[in-house]
Amino acid sequence: MTSAQLDKMRLELRRGVLVLAVLASLRQRHYGYSLRRQLQDNDIDIDEGTLYPLVRRLADQGLLDSEWQQGEGRERRYYQISELGAELLAQLTGEWTTLNNALGPLLQPEQTMLIQQEEEKS
Amino acid sequence: MDLVKRYIAAVQRELPEPKRQEIGRELQANIMDQLDALAEQTGQDLTDQQVADVLKNMGHPTQVARQFCPTEPLIRAHLMPLYKHTLFMVLGVLFVLQVVFMTKAWLTGADFGLIRFILGLASGFIEDAVFGFTAITLGFALMPVNAAAGSSKTYDQWHPKQLPPVGAGWQHISLSDIFSDLATYAFLLLIIWLPLWQQNFAVTAAAQSVFSAHVLPLLMWFSPVIVLGVIGSLWQLSRRLWHTPLLRLNVLVNLAFTLMLLTLALSGPLLQLDTDNWVRHFDPNWLQRTIKFFVLSLALIPAYEVVRDLLRLKRLSVS
Repeated sequence: MTSAQLDKMRLELRRGVLVLAVLASLRQRHYGYSLRRQLQDNDIDIDEGTLYPLVRRLADQGLLDSEWQQGEGRERRYYQISELGAELLAQLTGEWTTLNNALGPLLQPEQTMLIQQEEEKS
Repeated sequence: MDLVKRYIAAVQRELPEPKRQEIGRELQANIMDQLDALAEQTGQDLTDQQVADVLKNMGHPTQVARQFCPTEPLIRAHLMPLYKHTLFMVLGVLFVLQVVFMTKAWLTGADFGLIRFILGLASGFIEDAVFGFTAITLGFALMPVNAAAGSSKTYDQWHPKQLPPVGAGWQHISLSDIFSDLATYAFLLLIIWLPLWQQNFAVTAAAQSVFSAHVLPLLMWFSPVIVLGVIGSLWQLSRRLWHTPLLRLNVLVNLAFTLMLLTLALSGPLLQLDTDNWVRHFDPNWLQRTIKFFVLSLALIPAYEVVRDLLRLKRLSVS
C-alpha cells in the first residue's frame, strides 16, 4: 500500500471519530486553541486547519452553542455542546461502542502482532 | 503581526463575502492564542520567522478557506448520472438534427462536395454541442439543492422483480450505436424524399436527386423499411437491452437493407453524375463500377448484423 493510500484511508477513518472527540471535549466550554490543547492532551492530534473549520461547521449545524467573550486581553469565541449536540453525542457514543465491541475480536490478530512488534523493539 | 494580518486577509479573499468578517475574526483570535502560547513557551518575543512557521503550519490560505467553506461542485454528485445521461441524449439528438440540416443543404446547394459536407457537419455539430453543453450544465448547476426528490423517489419505489433478467454483455445497447443508426436513417430518408418533396411543394428551385431514374423508385418503395428502422431505434432508446422481439425486428430491417443494397449494386448506374465535368479526370464507367463495388461491400455490414443477430437469437432461446 502506498503512503498516499494510507493517508487517504487514515483521513477517512479519523473524520467521523474527530466529530465524536470534538463534541465530547466541548462538554466543557472551550475556545479554539484551548480545545486543540485539550485534544492534544488526550493524544488526539489534529491540525488547526482541520479543527477550526470543523468546530464552525458543527456550530452552524446547531450542535454547538457559541459566544464571543473577552478573555486575557483578547476576544475569543467560546464553544460548548448544545442540547441537540448532547443528544447526538449520546447516540454516536452508542454507535461507537457497538462498533468498537464488534471490531475488537476482528482486529485481535493485528493488535497482537502490533503488541509483539512493540515488545521486540523495546 | 503584519504577517498574521496578511495571512488572514489572504484567507478572507478566498471566502464568500458574508462569511469573511466572522471567519477572519475567529481565525485571528485562534492564531494569536497560538502565538502567545509559543511566546510563553520560548520565554521571549517571537521572530518573524517563528510567526511564519506557525502560519505555514496552519496551511495555505486557499486550503484553509476551503476547509471553512468547502467548494460546491457545479453539478452535485447525486445529479451526475442524470446529467451525463441528459447530455448524451441531447448531443445525440443534436447530431441527428445536424445530419438532417446538412443533408438538406447538400441536396439544395449548387456547389457542395463531400469534404464540405463533412466539415459543415462537424462545425455545425460542435457549434450546437457547445450551446447544448452550456445550457444543460447551467440548468443542472442552477437546480435547487432538493431537486433529487424525484430521483430518490424512483430509487425508493422499485422491486427486484422489475429488473431485467441477467444477460450477456452484448445485450446492452450503447447510446452512440442508437444515434448513429438514427442519423443514418434520417440521412437516407432526406436524400430520397427531399428532391421529390421540393418538386411538388417547395417555392425554391428543386434539388436534383443524386440517384439515377431507375434507382429512385426502388428506394422510395424501400422507405417503409427505413421508417421501421427508425421505430426500432426509438424502441432501443426506450429499453436499451437486446431482447427477442427487438432482435427479430433488427434481423428483418438488416435483411431488407442487405437485399436492397445487393439489388442496387446489381442494377444499372446507381447515381446521376455530372459526368460532363468529370470526364477529363475520371472514366464515368470506372466511377459507376467503383460505386457498385462500394455498395456491394456496404451490403456486408447489414449482412453481418443479420448473422450476428440470428446467433444472438439462438443464444437467447437456449438460455
